[in-house]
Amino acid sequence: MNTMTENKYFFRPCTWIFLLLVGLTVVTWFIGMKQFSGLQISLMVLGIALLKGQLIGDYFMGLRRVSGFWRWAVAIWLLLIGSLISYAFNISA
Amino acid sequence: MIIRLIQFQDRENQMNPMEKSKWPPGDLVIWIFIMAELLVFGIFFAAYAFTRANHVELFNTYQATLDRNSALLNTLALITSSYFVVRAVAAIKIDDNKRCFQWLLAALFMGVVFLVIKSIEYQHHFSQGINLSTNTFYMFYLSLTFFHFLHVVLGMVILIAVALKARAGGYCAQEHTGVETGASYWHMVDLVWIVLFPLVYVMK
Repeated sequence: MNTMTENKYFFRPCTWIFLLLVGLTVVTWFIGMKQFSGLQISLMVLGIALLKGQLIGDYFMGLRRVSGFWRWAVAIWLLLIGSLISYAFNISA
Repeated sequence: MIIRLIQFQDRENQMNPMEKSKWPPGDLVIWIFIMAELLVFGIFFAAYAFTRANHVELFNTYQATLDRNSALLNTLALITSSYFVVRAVAAIKIDDNKRCFQWLLAALFMGVVFLVIKSIEYQHHFSQGINLSTNTFYMFYLSLTFFHFLHVVLGMVILIAVALKARAGGYCAQEHTGVETGASYWHMVDLVWIVLFPLVYVMK
C-alpha cells in the first residue's frame, strides 16, 4: 500500500524542483565552459545560484511550510552573501 | 530554555502537515548549528570575493585551471543526493522504513561519488605541486573546498546513523524527527555548494 502511495506521487513538486535545479546547474556550467566574463554575467550566475538556494530552502528543507523567522532564515543568508559578493565584484569591475 | 523550546517544537510537529509550523523540520538544535555553519561559510565567501577584488587578474588566471566538468558532476551529485533525502523523508512520513532506508542509501552513494570526484581533483592539484601556499587563489580554493569536503563527510556520518535506525524500524510516520534532522543538515551541505560552485569555478 505504501509503495502505491509513493508511486502515485512520483512526479511530486520536489521532482520538478530537482529537474529545475539540474537545468539551472547546466546553464551555470555552460557559462563557465564558454568563458563568458564581465560584471553582468557574474551577477546573472550569482542570481541563478541564489534562486537555486531559495528553491532548496523552500522545497528540500521544507521552509515554505514554516512561518516566522525560520521561514526566511535561508533567504536572509542568501540575500546577505549575495549583496556582499555583488558589491565585491562591482568594485573590482 | 532551549529544552522548553524543543519540547514546544515537538508538540507543534504533531499538527496537521498542511498547516504552517512555527518551527523548521527536525530538531531546533540542528537549525541553530546550521545557521552557525552558514554564517562561517558566508564569511568565507565574502572574504574570497573581497580578496579577489584586489587580485582580479590572478584569480581569473588560476580559476581557468580548475576542472569545471568535475565541478558540474559534483554539483549534480549533491543535488541528486539532496533529492533522494527528500524522498527518504517522504517515505518515512507514510511509515515506510524500508523505502526510507533505500533512499538514504542512494543519497549516501551520491555523497561517495562527490567525495571520489573531489579527491581525484585534489590528487591532480597535489601532483602538480599545488598547495595552500602556491598563491592566494589556491589558498582560498583549497581551504574553502576542503572545509566543505569535511562537511560532506560529517553529513554522511549523520545520514549513516539515520539510515541504520531506519533499517531497524526506528522511525514511524508519527515520530521521524531524526530523519528530518539529518535531512536538514544534508540540505545545508548542498546549499553551501550551490553558492561555492559558481563563485569559485565560474564567476570572473
